[in-house]
Amino acid sequence: MKPLTWQHGLGVLGFVLLVIGSVMGLTMAPPERHMGDVSRIAYIHVPTAWSMLLASTFAFGWALASLWTGKERFDDLLAGSVEATVVLAVLMLPSGMIWARPTWGVWWDWDVRLTSSLLGLLLFAGILGLRAFVDEPRKRATWTAVATIVAYVDIPLIYFGVRWWRSIHQVQSSPETVSGGMILPWRINAFAVLFITLWFIAMRSRIEGGKRQIEQAGEPQRIVEAIA
Amino acid sequence: MIVLRQLATLIAKDLRLEWRRRARLLVVLVFACTTLLLFSFALGRETELLVKASGGLLVLALLLSSTLGLAESFRVEHEDRALEGLFLLPVDPVAVFYAKTITNTLFLIVLGPILVPVALALYSVHIEPGKLGDFALIWALTASGLAAPGTLYSGMTSRMRGQDVLLPLLLFPLAGPLLIASVRSLTLLITGDAMDELGAWRGLLIAFDVIYWSIGGVLYPFVCEEGT
Amino acid sequence: MSSPSEPSPPDQPIIAIRDLGRRFGRSWALAHVDLEVARGELVLLAGANGSGKTTLLRTIAGLIHRTRGELRVFGRDPNRARAHCRSRLCLVTHHGYLYENLTALEMLELWNRLSPAPRPRSELMPLLERMGLAERARNEVRGFSAGMRKRLTLLRAELERPELLLLDEPFSALDPDGQRFLEQWIRASRAEGRTFVIASHALMRATNLGGSSVLLERGQIAWRGPSSQLLARFSGTAS
Repeated sequence: MKPLTWQHGLGVLGFVLLVIGSVMGLTMAPPERHMGDVSRIAYIHVPTAWSMLLASTFAFGWALASLWTGKERFDDLLAGSVEATVVLAVLMLPSGMIWARPTWGVWWDWDVRLTSSLLGLLLFAGILGLRAFVDEPRKRATWTAVATIVAYVDIPLIYFGVRWWRSIHQVQSSPETVSGGMILPWRINAFAVLFITLWFIAMRSRIEGGKRQIEQAGEPQRIVEAIA
Repeated sequence: MIVLRQLATLIAKDLRLEWRRRARLLVVLVFACTTLLLFSFALGRETELLVKASGGLLVLALLLSSTLGLAESFRVEHEDRALEGLFLLPVDPVAVFYAKTITNTLFLIVLGPILVPVALALYSVHIEPGKLGDFALIWALTASGLAAPGTLYSGMTSRMRGQDVLLPLLLFPLAGPLLIASVRSLTLLITGDAMDELGAWRGLLIAFDVIYWSIGGVLYPFVCEEGT
Repeated sequence: MSSPSEPSPPDQPIIAIRDLGRRFGRSWALAHVDLEVARGELVLLAGANGSGKTTLLRTIAGLIHRTRGELRVFGRDPNRARAHCRSRLCLVTHHGYLYENLTALEMLELWNRLSPAPRPRSELMPLLERMGLAERARNEVRGFSAGMRKRLTLLRAELERPELLLLDEPFSALDPDGQRFLEQWIRASRAEGRTFVIASHALMRATNLGGSSVLLERGQIAWRGPSSQLLARFSGTAS
């Protein structure tokens, strides 16, 4: 297999940017007007949310490609993207909870992004669960693609549903906006998380492809046929 | 058109089978009523709380019953591989999907006339007669919203090991927005709609139904056959 | 290429298989299978359990996707041109494809109404009579014996009037009377010009039907020749 040079480069760049952006955000940018230093969590929380949405969109794209062409490569990429979505959602949740606790005294505040992410996490984790139960590769690819398409289409519905529901319950606001002087660290981190996500997808899909190749045995030798 | 003829024939077949196996409708009804009772144990005897929660509890009872009903609807197809026989005729899978979804929707709707009065009695709820039409509409939209993705997923998982856990795992997060909209709508009908929100929630329900009835029909042909 | 409503041209083989392979995970259920079946032929698939007979039949029917190789049934790929192929063939397995809670007549009506070219309803009862099921026409299938189920399943084949019949272990679960009945039915259908591919362990009965035989071993064809010579090859191990 070809070495993953540019993908590794992307990953390294992503980590470097993450360090830069986080240091800037944590030390150099001014504190937020209302919430003080705690709002700095937004520098991690919000980019993670964006990348999660992007990863799920990639998954949707690969799902369509996999269903249409049947090529195994697309299933590998799909599996990587679904996993990335789940991992990002898992990372999002604690950062959201870390923000909520000192601010409001509760660990969970039904923030739109958090609640939608939790539902999204369960939805996409279910796809991974489905994959675990199907052994036959072709069937697994088709079913993963179908489940991903169904799940992705739900995302806007989840968002609107949770948002309307939340507005009724008049729950507290969250680190949604970031004012003027803080744009740069935010942008840096957004790219950082994106690059790391792409690197993760490339790595995971490679592993999936490798697993598949090991699973599949070579064709047996043709036996000599006896004719009557 | 052939597909329409097949659809009509399949609906008639499914309804006939449902009628002949009507004992299981009773089983599901008893299960649903039991859940309603257990919810009231969980919440306590405070009438005001029960009234406010009654819409949500009804929808939860419907959701839990749906997994039983949906799983069963494909069991009859696989006992003697009858469904495979139909596909060999050949029957259009789209007709199979919509026939099953329509039958499953009817099955869930039919739970309403029993469940709702039971809930009204247990939770001391009163609905104005003028609102019964809206109530029935919301119930029907919820039933059909559960039936479409539920039929797709139970068609996929019905011959797999782990079906009992996979179907709820996949369906419950997906149904999140549907459940939010449905619970809000029923609660508004029970406790009063001061801000006239019902229209918006009904819109979300209709959107969910339209989306999943459409993509269900498109995706089912990909997953309807075993491939083995 | 023939259009869906016309029968395939008489000179073209009904089934054309070249270097067919089907992999399940680490093992190959079928490998390097070459086979041609002409119109009106009867081909017997013999082999031990797990040798690939069922997989081959299901692949021809288009239920299983092949991993590699070429497959043409009625001139088309059965995975792509499903309606074209399936409307001309009938697969009979030990699954009856029956709904337990429907009556025999209702099953027949169902199959009839769902098929591309339904027959008039008046023809259905005579069909049941021919198979000796008329008395049980209004009984639910779940009370039927194995032999009766088999006859009902064969009725499906009668109803559809397929050009190609794929039979998977048709003699199993039948008593000697049932087996005789089936043998007669196959001969009568052959006389009408139908093509048969039959997988069977019941070598004595199956080779009686004539035609040619193919012996499968671990998914590959180990021997082929006239059915009359199949038993000789197996002296001592025939069932």
